[in-house]
Amino acid sequence: MDIPDCEDATSALNSFKATTIQSGHTVLLRLPNGETKGFKVEKDATISIGRVGSFRANELIDHPYGLTYEIRGKELSVQPPHTLQEVEETDATNELINDGEFVQPLTLSEIEGLKKSGVHASDIIKAQIEQHANYSMKTEYSKEKYKQRKEAKYSKTFSTVEPTIYNVCDHWFKKDQNRIRDIRPDTLSQILNLANVRPGGRYIAVDEASGLLVSAILERLGGDGRLISICDVDSPPAYPVMTLMNFRKDVVTKVHSSLNWATAQEDYTPVAAVTQESSSEVGKSERHRIRLDKRKNAADTLLNAREELFAGEYDALLIASDYDPLEILQNLIIYVAGSGSIVVQSPFSRPLTELQSKLRLDPNYLAPSITESWLRRYQVLPGRTHPTMNTSGSGGFLLHAIKV
Amino acid sequence: MWSTARDVAAGDLVIIWQTRELIQPLLITPGKDLNSRFGYYRHADLVGIPYGSKVGSRNGKGFIHVLRPTPELWTMALPHRTQILYLADIAFITSWLDIKRGSSVIEAGTGSGSFSHSVARTIGSVGHLWSYEFHEARANKAREEFSLHGMADIVTLTHRNVCKDGFTVEDTVDAVFLDLPAPWDAIEHAKKALKKTSPTRICCFSPCMEQVLRTVNALNDSGFTDITMFETLLRPHEVHQLSPQSLTQAVEKLKKLEQKREDKRQHQIARSSKRKRDDLPETDIDNVGVKRLRTQESEEEDVCIRDIPDAVVDPGQSANQPPPIKISVSKVSPDVRGHTSYLTFARLVPTVPSKSVSIRE
Repeated sequence: MDIPDCEDATSALNSFKATTIQSGHTVLLRLPNGETKGFKVEKDATISIGRVGSFRANELIDHPYGLTYEIRGKELSVQPPHTLQEVEETDATNELINDGEFVQPLTLSEIEGLKKSGVHASDIIKAQIEQHANYSMKTEYSKEKYKQRKEAKYSKTFSTVEPTIYNVCDHWFKKDQNRIRDIRPDTLSQILNLANVRPGGRYIAVDEASGLLVSAILERLGGDGRLISICDVDSPPAYPVMTLMNFRKDVVTKVHSSLNWATAQEDYTPVAAVTQESSSEVGKSERHRIRLDKRKNAADTLLNAREELFAGEYDALLIASDYDPLEILQNLIIYVAGSGSIVVQSPFSRPLTELQSKLRLDPNYLAPSITESWLRRYQVLPGRTHPTMNTSGSGGFLLHAIKV
Repeated sequence: MWSTARDVAAGDLVIIWQTRELIQPLLITPGKDLNSRFGYYRHADLVGIPYGSKVGSRNGKGFIHVLRPTPELWTMALPHRTQILYLADIAFITSWLDIKRGSSVIEAGTGSGSFSHSVARTIGSVGHLWSYEFHEARANKAREEFSLHGMADIVTLTHRNVCKDGFTVEDTVDAVFLDLPAPWDAIEHAKKALKKTSPTRICCFSPCMEQVLRTVNALNDSGFTDITMFETLLRPHEVHQLSPQSLTQAVEKLKKLEQKREDKRQHQIARSSKRKRDDLPETDIDNVGVKRLRTQESEEEDVCIRDIPDAVVDPGQSANQPPPIKISVSKVSPDVRGHTSYLTFARLVPTVPSKSVSIRE
């Protein structure tokens, strides 16, 4: 009785983004050392993940995300989910353990030999532990760490990571945070909420964060709503972040249009006027007609996107750009509806500080305010709970204002 | 949910922004009045104006901004029935739990509905939120509010103690959010409510570390994986204008002041020797008074060189000098929220599709 009737809606969502791994997807895999890496899954192809091994892509297709696998030969076997182990308190200390001592008689070549003969990772680690001179003296905590380190090295397991916007942002932030303008997952989530991004909403975005902002908005729209993004390159850029989202392209095309700064000007006129001749005109070759049609389509798409932008009444304007934010606002603010949100992101405080000092004198903006996001992650192992030792220093800055 | 029309209509819920500290919801009811520190307004006057308008009061006492409600504004304006969740936590939880259009979500308890509004907005009309509140009066109030805000189709509110009685759905939701004093008692129930064949997620929101530790154990025992915990905050920055002081100028000022004082001293000496020469009769009291006055003057000059406008030091030069350059600087506001709650997250791994290999023992 509680379950709402949304059969149609669910199928529409499935078509926007598949819930299982499909051929053609780029799938994030979490490797034994904790890193995530994107791999293209193509039917009948082989996926090779370096030292961990290789397997046939078909084994992943149609599987839900989030499972852990072990590579055995060329086959995959699904592993039970990893659970936390209680660690027993003992009297052991590192009082008598010295660095640099010879403790491991098992040589590198012997280990290589074991690996080649197909011995399971857990048996290699067991052999190393048995030979280790001081292992028994270690504290239980230290033994755990040792085992984990060895597992990261020899284990042939990996997990598939669901391409949620959180996971994709986290992946890029760890891989190359400069390319996404230092937008950390917490900052991205604040941008989306501050801009009131919701299904059916209409948004303008300036994304110089490799498509992270555009991807996040599209994900939240879920195929329902409108997004116009404005870029500084001639044709719509291929966003590297969006590749990992595995959106259905035809649905994205329906929701998302792209303009550049020139075509986004109301006084813009194309240099070469598109001929109005219809493609059915006689006496033209097939190739010529196709080319004409293509040109006509591109011109129509551009014209529609321009008209749509100039019609205005957008719910919010989201900016992550190196261009002068004041100039961007002067260009685009007229298209934002009354009471709409403006969110500007910057890895630096200075541009936003300058912008705030100008906006607060401008009666079109209500309460421009600057925030910095702060995030702290904890290790939560039984008996070993503490903040992680290494963390990102800042999640960047946001300026938020309401158009009035 | 709320009106998406361009203009305010009778029956709309609007947000009245007076100052950053004074933001209140208002149900537009023609015939009613709004009286505040910032003047007197008739609801009828607000009907038909575009959202985002600045409206002057009828008695000229001030103005207000009439805004379209958003979950973020609602969080700032809502009547507090309990401690509420704020933007940083709400946004982060939404993102980690992958709440988006069409998601099915459980929250317990409902509290003041700050999180509920944000989730309802994000999942849209094709999603669904099951919200549970064990306090009957609060549950009724929230139900009333949800229906008034046009969320009745999106949210199902149940008055129930989920720790004792569990949830009303099974194998149905994508995400569970527990804001309960003892979340560990609801975790097994949550597992039942979560979908089995796709990846699902849970978040427990607890202010104390002791709660986190018990929660982590319960999650682990129930087979949740990737257990992780975060704290997140927003640090508001305030912007100031600063005109950097030139050290050279300070040196010049000090030199000139010294010169001026010396000139004055010489002048005094000259005057007093003139007096002596003239041998004018003078009472002691008068003399002391004049001296005290002069001492005060010079002390003030010593202390306040920074405050003396350049014109005093050198009236001739100031006209040619460019106005002092102002730079915008920012610093973290002095009073900031230091802790809200610990956010403990975990994931439930979907069951393996039947056609694939069996789980290794």
